[in-house]
Amino acid sequence: MLMNLQKAEYILRRLLTSVFVLLGLTVITFFIARVVPSNAAALYIGPKARPEDIERVTKLLGLDKPLPVQYLVYMRDVLKGDWGTSISSKRPVLQEIASRFPATFELLCTAMIIAVATGIVVGVISAQWQGKWLDILVRAASIVGVSVPAFWLGLLLQILFFRNLNILPLSGRVDSDLRFTHPIMVTTGIYLIDAIIHQNWVALKDVCLHMILPALTLAAYPASLIARMTRATMLEVQSQDYIRTARAYGLKESFIVYILALKNAISPTLTVIGLTLAYALTGSFFVEIVFNWPGLGMFTVRSLLNLDYPAIMGITLFGAIGYVLINLLVDIVQTWIDPRISLS
Amino acid sequence: MAIKESISNIQSLDTPPQSRRTLVHIAQVILRDPLALLSTIIIIVFFFVAVFAYQLAPFPEQGAGKSNPATAMLDPSPEHPIGTDRLGRDMLSRIIIASRPALVVPIVVVFLAVIIGAPLGAIAGYKGGWLDEVIMRITDLFLAFPFLLLAMSIATALGRGLDKAAIALIVSWWPWYTRLTRSIAASLSQRYFVMAARSIGVRDSVIILRHILPNCISPILVQATIDLGLVILAMGGLAFLGLGTQPPAPDWGLMVSDGRTFIFKQWWLSTYPGLAIFIVVLAFNLLGDTLRDVFDPRQYR
Amino acid sequence: MNNRWSIICIMMIFALILSACGGVKTTPQVSQETVSVEQSIEEEAANPTPAPADTPIPEGPRVLKVAATANITTWDPVKSFSTEALYMGNFYEGLIRINPPSASERFTPLLAEKWDVSEDGLVWTFYLREGVKFHDGELLTAEAVKKSIEAAKDHGGASFIWLPLGSIDVVDDLTVKFNLTYAAPLDLIAASLYGAWIVSPKALDAAAQDDQYFEAGIEAGTGPYMLESYEPDKEVLMTRFDDYWGGWDDVKHFDKVLITITPEAVQQQQMLESGEVDLALSIPLENMEQFKNKPGVTFYEEPSLYNYVGFFNTLRKPLDDPKVRKALSYAIPYNDIIKIGGQGYGIQSRGPVPAGVWPYSEEVPQYTYDLTKAKELLAEAGYPDGGFELTLTYAAENQAEERLAPLIKDSFAEIGVTVNIEAIQFNQQWEKAKADPANAQDIFLLLYWPTYSDAGTDNLYSMFHSSEVPFFNLSYWKDEEFDKKIDEAAALTVTDPKKSQQLYTEAMTRLVDQAPGFFLYDVTAVFTFPDYIKGYQYNMNYPFTTFFYPMYTE
Repeated sequence: MLMNLQKAEYILRRLLTSVFVLLGLTVITFFIARVVPSNAAALYIGPKARPEDIERVTKLLGLDKPLPVQYLVYMRDVLKGDWGTSISSKRPVLQEIASRFPATFELLCTAMIIAVATGIVVGVISAQWQGKWLDILVRAASIVGVSVPAFWLGLLLQILFFRNLNILPLSGRVDSDLRFTHPIMVTTGIYLIDAIIHQNWVALKDVCLHMILPALTLAAYPASLIARMTRATMLEVQSQDYIRTARAYGLKESFIVYILALKNAISPTLTVIGLTLAYALTGSFFVEIVFNWPGLGMFTVRSLLNLDYPAIMGITLFGAIGYVLINLLVDIVQTWIDPRISLS
Repeated sequence: MAIKESISNIQSLDTPPQSRRTLVHIAQVILRDPLALLSTIIIIVFFFVAVFAYQLAPFPEQGAGKSNPATAMLDPSPEHPIGTDRLGRDMLSRIIIASRPALVVPIVVVFLAVIIGAPLGAIAGYKGGWLDEVIMRITDLFLAFPFLLLAMSIATALGRGLDKAAIALIVSWWPWYTRLTRSIAASLSQRYFVMAARSIGVRDSVIILRHILPNCISPILVQATIDLGLVILAMGGLAFLGLGTQPPAPDWGLMVSDGRTFIFKQWWLSTYPGLAIFIVVLAFNLLGDTLRDVFDPRQYR
Repeated sequence: MNNRWSIICIMMIFALILSACGGVKTTPQVSQETVSVEQSIEEEAANPTPAPADTPIPEGPRVLKVAATANITTWDPVKSFSTEALYMGNFYEGLIRINPPSASERFTPLLAEKWDVSEDGLVWTFYLREGVKFHDGELLTAEAVKKSIEAAKDHGGASFIWLPLGSIDVVDDLTVKFNLTYAAPLDLIAASLYGAWIVSPKALDAAAQDDQYFEAGIEAGTGPYMLESYEPDKEVLMTRFDDYWGGWDDVKHFDKVLITITPEAVQQQQMLESGEVDLALSIPLENMEQFKNKPGVTFYEEPSLYNYVGFFNTLRKPLDDPKVRKALSYAIPYNDIIKIGGQGYGIQSRGPVPAGVWPYSEEVPQYTYDLTKAKELLAEAGYPDGGFELTLTYAAENQAEERLAPLIKDSFAEIGVTVNIEAIQFNQQWEKAKADPANAQDIFLLLYWPTYSDAGTDNLYSMFHSSEVPFFNLSYWKDEEFDKKIDEAAALTVTDPKKSQQLYTEAMTRLVDQAPGFFLYDVTAVFTFPDYIKGYQYNMNYPFTTFFYPMYTE
């Protein structure tokens, strides 16, 4: 009972800090956008604009008001759900983000599932075979995994699996023929799920094939980190008293490894997953560029290169909110999983 | 007089490992561990290449950016071991010359991030109270962004270029060192030698400069080595997206990006610059790994 | 500790595997004679391109799949002034269309069947086609034409093209009269790439109420294709308009056109090679060579409206001295720039008017690459060893400029002139140039094309006529003689084309002599078409538009 009260208080406090952090984030994104060294109004109209048009748009975009006023207006609009209008597409930023998010989400989730699954399994195996060749292989692979630039790994995989072996599609999310032969009914925007709920097996196969290379590229970094963390905590946990006691009592080794040790190793691993998600998010930008994946990353990079500052603000804010929420979630889940975590 | 002497006695009794000793220790660790040794050798080789880049490169002028239309897009040959790019520049020379910014800029970035981050952390950790609260909440803000996303936005806001990308990385990187230093400083401020100095009225600024910061150096050094790999990767990534080094200056990430156009025919144009990034990062990660195993700067957290 | 050696070994193997990925299938050393054959065989093996003889989809609708860079900045046909012309040109039609220079007729009648002009060039009458339907069911009338053109003149993205227009009279349902305030080539203007689409009056009314009306993805033209659906930054799907006045019977046109928006040229090439699309509209120039002798593919090299121009900042020392500008013009390696910048697809410009566009003239002189002469001229101007620094800006998104800017830098270095290259987003580059000319760049690289096919009133006027506020005259040049000549020439374009041409030629000759800018090359458009797509006609006058209607498969 007391425990639960403490928990509730802790979570409440974490929520409050998150709100504070989010508020600060808007200041930073706003500040960044205002430093963009270009005439936003001129960008908005495009080349060959006339001075009077620029003046009109300056007014329209509210760029003639003092900065603090602009910030307040910006905050009011953000809260209302109006994140501005993209300069290059002239559509609401939030709508742009929402329409691209499912693709990125799908890629991120697939990559993280791959990463967590392989990371934990490989980490556990590696810890069990500590010092054996399997362990060595895993450790070598995990160092390679955190050192290889995602954009380069993606290119190498393309060369290998498309150009040389020709067994996987080069890029994109689905084959362009698919929309005429077996169109995917979009319900969730996540093609894997959409294909399954509409029992569109041809599409499912196509979606999976397109998913393999980008997901693997993106999974390399988090998988390596998770494997290393799992291995380290498993080794640590196994040397602890209660595991040794369990061994002494003659409990089955598999039970010890998978239930006792792993259960206690999960908490630190969870922290790493939260951390790596941030890397994976930015990593997905590179992967999307290399694999022509129509998600947030492509949108981000294009906005950055085009100085589409409302879009840049929107994406930065969106990414930061997502990151704060993930960290919050990880923290809260941890208080449940691992009661030893101090709540102070 | 007497009091001061006694203080220095206390200090010598209660001093954490000094930096010089740590450096010796690091060297011993590296020498004993083949993996760390190998990575150190790789790093030294890369530094050697960077220092003597203009002597080593077969076509130093082309490496730095001078075009040579007559030799555009040549396949690998004894004269050009990894061919030439579309402006006719020898790719090997380009990769060699590019090792300079590739190594120097991340080191500068980490160094400046430490210079900004560490004193703030030391003040926060030592002083505590509202100052601590303010500084740490600010770092929280910066750390609430996915690191590279923040760097990309800042780099864009400043305009493209190597220097701007470096500034962007510093701005988004320093809070990590504030956090690290703060935790060390917080634990140090409870130590006798600090408390003693404070009790006899040594000024806070002196304590921070003389006692706190010097004792943070070795864990920060270790952490910085570990981080270098990440920063090199980030620089490469920014350049790949076109937000870092601008042509015609050579840059590995930019070369990978440029070579994408030719990925199916002249695959070497982006493969080798990428390999260079990979090997350097791998070396720093290996070295960092060993150092972490031995020192673990995060133990203070 | 022993393990660590094993880790090293394994890591070496990883590194080897990783880097070997690329190397598995290459033959770096092939003797020159066998290259083309070997390459095409290798390509066949490497690329899973379906045999070109296959029709892309055997059953169902005939779909043409296209990869293009073109983004949609607006769906409003009146405001449209950018890359969406690719789509607009298939949804909308103007009164007439200008033909490529090689055609026997200068214009193709579209919504106007015929037209005539009064002797003084001030009154133009267009006779409209009967029974033309808009996609929303409205009928084409003279009233609709009047409304569309008035909207374009009033708030169009390219409203300036209608500057000569005084008023529009509706004579009867199918006859419309344009009264000009001064003689101007209204036929060229009516055939403009932008700002001359005829739009359904119903849609124009709706847009007058709500200026975002079109942005939801609405179009209301008379063209052969309709917008079926679009996803921003992803794709545009067009479907045929059954009631199109041109009909659909005689050949197997495409029922649908799916355009995948693909900003990166290399990605487009990859999509083409993997058979994902039938057409890729912008393949990297560097890789075009591969398609030249490829079986089953037709390779086109055609003149275009584009050319590359450089502006010297004539307000600043030492560029205010024509001698220095001339010297620098001699120090530009034109051939290398075409070879590297244009990858060989270009011809050296004669002034700012690209070949094939009025008032281009063979008589306009060109500079040669002559460093000795450049040094002499510099010495005469008082800079025997160069010794000054110049800032050159170019648009970072332009690949050709990225390739050619270093060539200028390196060549100028030979005569002792240091060039600092600054690559920035075009909009920024342009903003900076307009904001404060005296402190702006020294050299401005620009890719230019005329809005409609009259480079006299566009290229020459926009880039080199003096003006108080700089716009595209980024040399900030003020030359009375030049101004007078082109003003006079413009006024005579319709009534006395010969005299007009002569004046333009004189003006351009003076321009090249005074060298406020330098003229790099006219871009040769290069692209490939698979042989199974027939009927394609290239039209240099519409550089952003590919017309899909004439295309068919057998």
